[in-house]
Amino acid sequence: MGILRLAHVDIRTTDLELASAYYSEVMGLTAVQRDEDTAYFKCWDEEDHHSLRLRYDARTGLDLFAFRVEKEDDLAELEKAVEAYGCQVQRVSKGQAVGQGESIRFVIPSGQTMELVWDLTKTGNLLGKHNPSPVPPPNLPGIAPPRLDHMLINAEEVGESCAFFRDVLGFRMTEQVIDANGHQLGVWLERSHSPHDIAIVNGPNGALHHFAFWLDDWDHVRKAADILAYNGVQIDQGPTRHGVTRGNTIYFFDPLGIRNEVFTGGYSPDPDFPSITWTEEQFGRGLFYYENVVSQRFLRMHT
Amino acid sequence: MSDRILRLQHVQIRVPDLELCTAYYTEVLGLIETGHEDGLVFLKCWDEHEHHSVVLRQAPTYGLDHMSFKLAEAGDLDYYTQRVEAVGIAVKRYARGELGQGWGEAIRFEAPSGHTVELVYGMEKVGNMLPLFNPPPKPGGLVGIAPPRLDHIFIMAEDVDAATAFYTGVLEFRLTEQILANDGHQLATWMERSHTPHDLAIVTGPNGALHHFAFWLDDWNAVRDAADQLAYNGVTIDVAPTRHGVTRGYTMYFFDPVGNRNEVFTGGYWVDPDFEPITWTEEEMGRAMFYYAREVNERFFTVHS
Repeated sequence: MGILRLAHVDIRTTDLELASAYYSEVMGLTAVQRDEDTAYFKCWDEEDHHSLRLRYDARTGLDLFAFRVEKEDDLAELEKAVEAYGCQVQRVSKGQAVGQGESIRFVIPSGQTMELVWDLTKTGNLLGKHNPSPVPPPNLPGIAPPRLDHMLINAEEVGESCAFFRDVLGFRMTEQVIDANGHQLGVWLERSHSPHDIAIVNGPNGALHHFAFWLDDWDHVRKAADILAYNGVQIDQGPTRHGVTRGNTIYFFDPLGIRNEVFTGGYSPDPDFPSITWTEEQFGRGLFYYENVVSQRFLRMHT
Repeated sequence: MSDRILRLQHVQIRVPDLELCTAYYTEVLGLIETGHEDGLVFLKCWDEHEHHSVVLRQAPTYGLDHMSFKLAEAGDLDYYTQRVEAVGIAVKRYARGELGQGWGEAIRFEAPSGHTVELVYGMEKVGNMLPLFNPPPKPGGLVGIAPPRLDHIFIMAEDVDAATAFYTGVLEFRLTEQILANDGHQLATWMERSHTPHDLAIVTGPNGALHHFAFWLDDWNAVRDAADQLAYNGVTIDVAPTRHGVTRGYTMYFFDPVGNRNEVFTGGYWVDPDFEPITWTEEEMGRAMFYYAREVNERFFTVHS
């Protein structure tokens, strides 16, 4: 019941052609629809219409991010909860957004626009439902992740945002980083029994830190690094291992400066999972377990 | 509303040689012994928080005593008691700790497939092997394969359609994949509660039989490493590392010293609750089970416990 998983991320880009080429040829997503100033992409194993929307704009950044709810009724219940918290909720009716039916949108305490949707247009994955191959065709270009995994946003008041996601939206906190005064510097929250569907780290309100695609294993992470390096993509960090989430990871930037991640590993938390706490002096190891340094670029660069 | 059944909690199996099997499960498979009492040994994987995920019971035969699934809330015990009794199956209820050390409050009943099913809430938490402050991603000092957790169970039933209808209709498992015979009946089915390809699967065979239970590994490299460990220890390997068509998982099957089949498994995919099930046809069964070999060895279907 309630929120199920991340459904799509909608970003602004200053060069739609260049960004589209990158996301289709280097990241290896499938272009599903192109309008005058927007382009829609999905991963090969996703059944929904799209998981990434690019919109041309004079500035890069985040338009919104959307989570899928499990049941149609969840939308009305969450709408009530969000309104009761004091956020204004906008109903988006069927036909107003590409690839989905009715949804609700609201601005979360840290300034980003969040959308909740149940009715996603099912277009099927690349394999089908009848004697499907377990793998996509071997000639898919680029990294070709099977699906979108999670995202990380910034917030000036991490504690306030964390409380909103937990108390109003029903997320569960798997991990947190606290400073010497006990303030939360970063929190990792889940609905999908994975270490995180969304994470919030201290930074400017409204900012996107990165969004991440799932890969099936560490070999695939290594192969992704080869593909990125071959294509001259700027790698931010990795391949390496996180302390927080335990995941294996690479961070890199799309051509217009939006940070991407490929991610694998982690663990499978039950709803009664006891949260893990990292102290500020161990934050380096929490972020990048092998390097054990707090990268200033990693903490300060966002869009 | 509750999330109801979350995942497989534990399996209890019979072993005619408790000492030998304890040695195998702790030293080769690399589970951790959390307790023992007369004729029972309790084991868990390193990343599991609860008291046990495998219970070995000294018995003259091998096979499955019961499989247990974890409930999200205490009220789910009443909820499922009503649902199971409504189809004419008797349900027994057990207080916390009544069934053995570490046990939560539970209900048990016999499914139409002849298996004893347990649903449990509130198992004793003993913690995984990592601290809750600044934990490393993996503990030191693990031996053997050391899988992080139990993953799924595969049982047998004479009437797979009827067995599956009970698990999906009464216990609200969701069908992810099925193999259909040419006459339309189900030869095998895969079902989930945890948004993975399967928590429970059923293949045609004798009622009450256990085909295997499986442990999760993090990736294909870990499957290869497990194969090295098993071969080094002289364990009988049933199917060497390969890929499933069904579930897309990477896998290896092998036998414990008394003949219960084990698996290590990784991969798969994410499943939304409204996932449209995948169907395999009878002539593609080989590819469905073992994607590279495209055939199923006779032992795989005929040997069970």
